[in-house]
Amino acid sequence: MICFEQVTFRYSEDGPTVLRDLNLEIPAGELVLLLGATGSGKTTFLRAINGLVPHFTGGHLTGNISVNGRSTRVNHPRELADLVGFVPQDPVSGFVTDLVEDELAYSMECLGIDPPVMRRRVEEILDLLGLTELRNRPLHTLSGGQQQRVAIGSVLTAQPEVLVLDEPTSALDPGAAEEVLAALHRLVHDLGVTVVLAEHRLERVMQYCDSILLLENGSVQSGSPSELMQTSSIAPPVIHLGRLAGWDPLPISIRDARRVAPPLRALLANHSPRIQAVPTHSPRIAEIRKVQCAFGKKIVLRGVDLDLDAGEITALMGRNGAGKSTLLRTLVGLKDQTKGTIHINGVDPHTLSAKDLLRHVGFVPQEPHDLFESLSVAAECKSSDTDAGCPPGTTRALLALMAPDVQDGTHPRDLSEGQQMLLALCLIVAAKPPLLLLDEPTRGLDYPTKKKLGEVLRGLATSGHSILLATHDVELVAELATRVVIMGDGEIVANGPTQSVVTGSPMFAPQVSKVLAPDHWITVEQIAQALNRELA
Amino acid sequence: MRAIPLGKPSAIAIAAISLIGIFSFLWPFVAPADSFLVVNSTETPLLFALIIPLLLVTVISQISDGGLDAKAIALLGALAAVIAVLRPLGAGLGGIEPIWVILILAGRALGPGFGFLLGSISLLASAMFTGGVGPWLPFQMLAAAWVGLGAGLLPKASGKRELMVLSTYAAIACIAFGFIMNLWFWPFSTNLPEQIAFSPGANAGENLLAWIRFSLTTSLGFDLPRAALTVILIALIGSPVLQLLRRASRKAAFDAPTEFIEVH
Amino acid sequence: MTPRWLHPGAWWLWSLCLAAAASQTTNPLLLSLLICAAVIVVAARKPDAPWGKSFEFFLFLGAMIITIRVLFQIVFGASLGTTVLFELPGLSFPEWMSGLQLGGSVTLEALLGAFYDGLRLATIAIVIGAANSLASPTRLLKAVPTALYELGVSIVVALTFVPQLTTDAGRIREMRRLRGRSSQGIKGFASLGLPVLAGALDRSIILAESMDSRGYGRHQKETTWGRRLSISLVLASLSLALIGVYSLLTAGTSAVVALLIVFAGLLLGGVTMWRAGRTRVRTVYRPDIWTLPEWLVSIAGVAVLGIFLTARISSDQALILRPELSAWPSLPLWGLLAFGIACTPAISAPHPPAFDIDTNEPFSSEAFR
Repeated sequence: MICFEQVTFRYSEDGPTVLRDLNLEIPAGELVLLLGATGSGKTTFLRAINGLVPHFTGGHLTGNISVNGRSTRVNHPRELADLVGFVPQDPVSGFVTDLVEDELAYSMECLGIDPPVMRRRVEEILDLLGLTELRNRPLHTLSGGQQQRVAIGSVLTAQPEVLVLDEPTSALDPGAAEEVLAALHRLVHDLGVTVVLAEHRLERVMQYCDSILLLENGSVQSGSPSELMQTSSIAPPVIHLGRLAGWDPLPISIRDARRVAPPLRALLANHSPRIQAVPTHSPRIAEIRKVQCAFGKKIVLRGVDLDLDAGEITALMGRNGAGKSTLLRTLVGLKDQTKGTIHINGVDPHTLSAKDLLRHVGFVPQEPHDLFESLSVAAECKSSDTDAGCPPGTTRALLALMAPDVQDGTHPRDLSEGQQMLLALCLIVAAKPPLLLLDEPTRGLDYPTKKKLGEVLRGLATSGHSILLATHDVELVAELATRVVIMGDGEIVANGPTQSVVTGSPMFAPQVSKVLAPDHWITVEQIAQALNRELA
Repeated sequence: MRAIPLGKPSAIAIAAISLIGIFSFLWPFVAPADSFLVVNSTETPLLFALIIPLLLVTVISQISDGGLDAKAIALLGALAAVIAVLRPLGAGLGGIEPIWVILILAGRALGPGFGFLLGSISLLASAMFTGGVGPWLPFQMLAAAWVGLGAGLLPKASGKRELMVLSTYAAIACIAFGFIMNLWFWPFSTNLPEQIAFSPGANAGENLLAWIRFSLTTSLGFDLPRAALTVILIALIGSPVLQLLRRASRKAAFDAPTEFIEVH
Repeated sequence: MTPRWLHPGAWWLWSLCLAAAASQTTNPLLLSLLICAAVIVVAARKPDAPWGKSFEFFLFLGAMIITIRVLFQIVFGASLGTTVLFELPGLSFPEWMSGLQLGGSVTLEALLGAFYDGLRLATIAIVIGAANSLASPTRLLKAVPTALYELGVSIVVALTFVPQLTTDAGRIREMRRLRGRSSQGIKGFASLGLPVLAGALDRSIILAESMDSRGYGRHQKETTWGRRLSISLVLASLSLALIGVYSLLTAGTSAVVALLIVFAGLLLGGVTMWRAGRTRVRTVYRPDIWTLPEWLVSIAGVAVLGIFLTARISSDQALILRPELSAWPSLPLWGLLAFGIACTPAISAPHPPAFDIDTNEPFSSEAFR
């Protein structure tokens, strides 16, 4: 269906080679997962399929790419719209209209499809993706998962044979990601659509895919998941576990892994997992007592009690709308509580001026670029020194420590997502707030960047910060958090050491724990330590 | 960087609609007392309010036929939205709107064709959004299009000099916009006091004087603050906004070369 | 009648006809009746949508127009009538402004004249405001001719961006506080604007990419000759209009020829648009229909204008009210008839569908995930 013949690509004549001599063919009806670290050329590869590269971006392309026999050389992306559907990473930015139905019809209007046919196809897609209830809703009132499904539906109405998706689930919570992946699965199985998708959250998509393309430095390897995963540096925890245990063939899904796990469990029976050291007798940073919060008549927080100590990394989990974001916003004084008290180092954050607030509590938003105002990294760091009242150069030095490869002159929005997150963290940490809040810090980050962020956060905790992070990323929580707080319907429903909270929950258990349940193992590292073996 | 290329036909079309526009604004001074326009002076503005939009859309369709790709359309839409959001902010202040700084800087960074279209489209979009469609709209669209076009045609300069050129232009453009916009309804207002009223049949000089008096006494109070605000904003954020716009146009790769190389 | 959107074209035709009718008269009774008709129809058929709220603004605008117009009259002194109400201290401008006089005696006649004049402008603004609040702007864009497709899309994009920009601005304002900054004053406003602008520009590039891959801008290739013909037609149309307008300027009282030339130019413009529309591949999803209610509403507008024009042609004295104390406005029977017809859309137009206002929920970051 999709055919790359000796494809080499550069954005500018003297620039680096992004794709190098690619030769591959993707058969019709497959769900193909594209893997690669940040900067490996994934984005370019996806956009080359429908000709956005080079028609839209400019650049120099050698060789030939064709889809169903139609070459991108002579066909612009718009002429391939009825053949290749492209869903960008951020669905909201790709919306042209503001209502669900209009958005679904937009591609067809462009292609000049007859109104009666349009009407029928919109109804079909509404049913297929479960959007019927939402047909008249303004797009910006939808949840992330719903928006992603509308984005997929809006290209499907043109009835393409190929669907290309750039990280369709990395910004979603587990439930919404399930909805989207289930919809994709149905498309592949019922309609025979060929799907190519890039995704960082391998633990979610690995089990659905038929084959994998692994991009490294512009070159590609392709093969079945169990083949390629033997050696890939990018892999979900279940693969790492399988490699550690020496399972062959390598199990890809939790279910397969559980089947071959009994010997490993027997081996581990005499060991117990080493638990992250929880600091004792460390100073209390924040006291939250009986906090209640409401939007109009709707109560979002009902009597939340929580203590946060120095040196702790506390994970705040729960489904969307459970009150996680509201709790964080109340803690930084963006939202007033209707009842209850909050004390951070003895002070109520609502009484603090903007300048003093930063010295008590820092907040890193889920879109780090919301914090950026300057035109270069250097200027951003400089203004942060002024904000934080610390000696000139402090923020820049901090950034050099966390992300050594960031250049001074780069526009902050041109950094990779991981670098943006680290820069935002530096801007906030420069003022040394004892309490540090992070909202979904690992959205859209690949494994190496996540690992890096984890190290940085652990370092901050050791130096005496108390860190509270709201997240859906169970693997991150398993590796990083000392304590887990689970919220449901505005209340705290569980609060305790990570080990005991996450292993007991079907929703928040990491892959390792699912494979080895009911034993209390949560990370591959713990097992490796127990078995005294090096991580593969 | 020119986001929207203006071919010769488009340039001629813009010149022609501009001439018609100039006539539609300046007829009170040139038309003789017994001419059709002056005799029916209360209907004339409405006649032009009908003619101008019809011709303006013809011109826009000509420009877009020449090359309005998705990038240009999306950028136009985004900046028109910025202007539409900024406009109501000034509504309480009698039209002292912070929109001109965006229009002028966008025209400067993205070229005269883009400036022309942004001027007309942004005022149309904001009128549709806030419900401000009326007989004044065609005149506003045309005058704003001129402001954007002019900003794109300013001489080359960079750094501080560029900001100086832009501020000067902004001051002139803002005041001229106010004066010109007085013209379309001025003949329509009968019963005005004699010294500031349009008198059909008086010679051009007398009417011109009356119009200047009318503008000085009525709209200058709004035009001067508007010009001052625009100049201050250009001094304050002109350079970063220009950098942002140029970064966007670089990212959109309007004229990045695309090349397909055969494999040997 | 089941609720549905009336074709926006019908609302606009009705309202523009009423505006044209208003411009024919200075009789305050007739003008007030036209305002009443607009208010009645808006009250009956206004949708529960964001643009529906704009009518109040237009009523306010009308009041402002009248006030400003009357204030002018007071400041610039009177040149009319004899009934002096009060005296203002006079002020003479220097010679170069040819002795402009301010203040002086204020007469009742002058104020009445200013009021009638202001009321006429206000009426035009208010009846046009009615169309602004009755007709959905996005549905109007669906009715845009194919040749203006690009223009239409850019406005659709702008209307989609506007709510996103306001939520962006709200969020970034909060983030500025978290960095210990204030967003007050011109400087704070300006530095709040920069990240919002940067975000909008970045998003527009992603949008362009998505539009490109969804088939925006597909059109059939035109032959070189076809293209040349289009260009010549555009230029011919503009030249004709230009010649027409120029000869309007110089023409005598009868300007039939000049007007004909202008309309020939406009017609040619229409032909070019039709030709340009043919090459564009594009259809409309669920286009608005034009059936009986649309006919009734637009005929009502045309009929009102017809009545006023007939009165004008037959030089009906009721149309013009001189600003004199002795002159009382008269209310002719045809005026009442016109009022009745102008109000009919309040019944003949269908109710608008209920608009989904889930959008009015208070801002919460969870909702935007």
